[in-house]
Amino acid sequence: MNTANQLTLQDKLTVLADAAKYDVACTSSGVDRRGQKGSLGNSCAAGICHSFASDGRCISLLKVLQSNECIYDCKYCPNRASNDKVRATFTPEELCTLTIEFYKRNYIEGLFLSSGVCKNPTYTMELMYRTLLLLRTSYHFNGYVHVKAIPGASRELLLQTGYLADRMSVNMELPTRESLKALAPNKSFSGILKPMEQIQSGITGYRLQIGKDPRMERSFSNRYLSNTIFQSGPAPRLETAAPPSVSLPAGVQPVHHTGNKPAPFVPAGQSTQMIIGATPENDFQLLTATQHLYQQYDLKRVFFSAYVPLNEDSCLPSLDTAPPLLREHRLYQADWLLRYYGFHAEDLLSIEKPNFNILLDPKCDWALRHLEFFPMEINRASYEDLLKIPGIGMKSASRIVQSRRQGMLDFEHLKRMGIVLKRAKYFITCKGRMMYRIPIQEDFLTRQLTGEDARANWEIEHPQTYRQLSLFDDMNLTASPTVEDAAKSISGQF
Amino acid sequence: MIIFTCKDIFEDMMTCIYDAWAEANAIGHSSVRLMTEPAGDMELFCEYRHVDPDPQKVQKVIRTIHKKLNWEAYQLVYKSAMSFASNKLDAIYRFLILGFAAGPRVLQMLQAPQVITVFELSRKVTNEAHLFREFLRFERMDQNVLMARISPKCNILTILGPQFSDRMPSENWMIIDDTRNLAAVHPADEEYYLTPLGQADLEQLNAHRETTDPYVALWKSFFRTIGIQERKNYQCQRTMMPLWYRKHMTEFLP
Repeated sequence: MNTANQLTLQDKLTVLADAAKYDVACTSSGVDRRGQKGSLGNSCAAGICHSFASDGRCISLLKVLQSNECIYDCKYCPNRASNDKVRATFTPEELCTLTIEFYKRNYIEGLFLSSGVCKNPTYTMELMYRTLLLLRTSYHFNGYVHVKAIPGASRELLLQTGYLADRMSVNMELPTRESLKALAPNKSFSGILKPMEQIQSGITGYRLQIGKDPRMERSFSNRYLSNTIFQSGPAPRLETAAPPSVSLPAGVQPVHHTGNKPAPFVPAGQSTQMIIGATPENDFQLLTATQHLYQQYDLKRVFFSAYVPLNEDSCLPSLDTAPPLLREHRLYQADWLLRYYGFHAEDLLSIEKPNFNILLDPKCDWALRHLEFFPMEINRASYEDLLKIPGIGMKSASRIVQSRRQGMLDFEHLKRMGIVLKRAKYFITCKGRMMYRIPIQEDFLTRQLTGEDARANWEIEHPQTYRQLSLFDDMNLTASPTVEDAAKSISGQF
Repeated sequence: MIIFTCKDIFEDMMTCIYDAWAEANAIGHSSVRLMTEPAGDMELFCEYRHVDPDPQKVQKVIRTIHKKLNWEAYQLVYKSAMSFASNKLDAIYRFLILGFAAGPRVLQMLQAPQVITVFELSRKVTNEAHLFREFLRFERMDQNVLMARISPKCNILTILGPQFSDRMPSENWMIIDDTRNLAAVHPADEEYYLTPLGQADLEQLNAHRETTDPYVALWKSFFRTIGIQERKNYQCQRTMMPLWYRKHMTEFLP
């Protein structure tokens, strides 16, 4: 790798950001931390996005790889060993300077550090650990750090890294054992779950030490719901939850803590990500796996990444496959329903109906199959029931619950409070009246709702094409434009 | 009808509320109106009264809001007062009339038009402050000073100041509000303060515009690289980060 030495910092940043861009989790959320005199940075639990890239995804953290050299040959990955690419590695100092200087200019909220497997997992993890240690101790960085755990790295390194990071994540990559075996021959399912368990036990240990509930905090709305996925899950395994004792490899200094307070261990929790569309799993399998991860491993987030074809391989979809963006969108919608709205995977999908409706969002779809609950009276429905209405979220529901104590609510009030009635109007009554004379029939409502959503869905599926102006309602036509059509629409022939 | 006018400054507005209330005790709340200057088109059959700030009256109003309502209500009033809307002062006044009668539960009375109006005003201010917290960009100037320029609609410097003081307590930085010629200045390890900028200050700052901060180029190339070509979606980008907010953002400057 002689080329690596000749690369400037600018080249390295381009190469390693380009290699990291397919990682999805660019969130800086989950932990509140005040700033300190003498050090740089704080952290905000709601998360702060500092910019939005050309694909509309937020840029919150400096998302780079430590190194894009990799000994593994995962079929889907742009950095696999068999690809001929420019390879580069950041030194810990380079990364620290970049993070600090970017942070001072308010470009970023912190660092997202991942890496290809350079030489072996432990060597790579050690390199990342050194970066974080330098960043926290010498550069006095107090902002957000998200670091990937490399499966196969030594347990001690993993745990020591946890004391420096706010969030850690291990990539699941694929939701089933078989798919993982087919596409990532060097990785194993158990190898991925092991570090996840280690991090989980570290987190529980830390939380018990400071006298908190062993399970991660969830959205406040869950407190008012009777049957969420977090309540019905199996209890965490307390016996494994002990603050980890550590013996480090030679040459690696442990983190020094001052004071009597236990050092925070991954306070923002851990997350993972799965690629969708590269393997034949259906949405039900994906969502069940997600729910299982939340319950069993107490993950804070599960991310989905629509598969973008980068490599040509017989096991993979062909290179002209469009990324399944609408499917990814539906999965995220369902993920929110699990974490904030008290739904279960089994409520939304089943073995008979394993995939999401393309035309309707999961909550609308659920509501149309459960019309016996509707229409709901805004002035009387419980918080839990309000959350089941399509178009009403946590904020709207709590505003309704608060303000209706002071007097009856009408549609005008709802509008001014900022409650969007686009979907909700079909499912609610105020003072016993609906907004319009609407029959509560599945066919009618489906037609209304799909008509309203068609345009939004079409735009998610075809972010780069343009639609010709039309006087007619042709949104429900199924023929989708081909690549040629897209080209024509740009050159004006269409 | 008596119309009380004052400058668009928080202290002046509080004094204005005090004086209007005193007058209303005699002639009734429906016979007074409040507005910030410039008063715009004058109306017939109205008496216009300009009010100058009085620190004692300011204290009295703030104390009463805390006593009869609570801290949250004060935040609501303060943030609404930072809005650019022309009707804000009267909206705050009407809110306080209802609030002092109803007590702290007024904050939940979103049905009342007086309440929802200040609620909307303060939401706009909070949202704008949040977006500038995300999107404002510092640039390294000479003498190790980080400088940011923004042109916000609402007066958000007093909301941004504490947030950035917590974020970068040991840095020298300043945020300049272009629309109001106001600056929040933070010397390292000290409290930040607000200061108006005169013509001379502005010229001096403009003279130092063409600094070459090496990290600008690095950030621009990172920003270009991190977007995935196959998922390109400028509409989504504009939804999340409206063009209006991009005026002073490093990555969109030529």
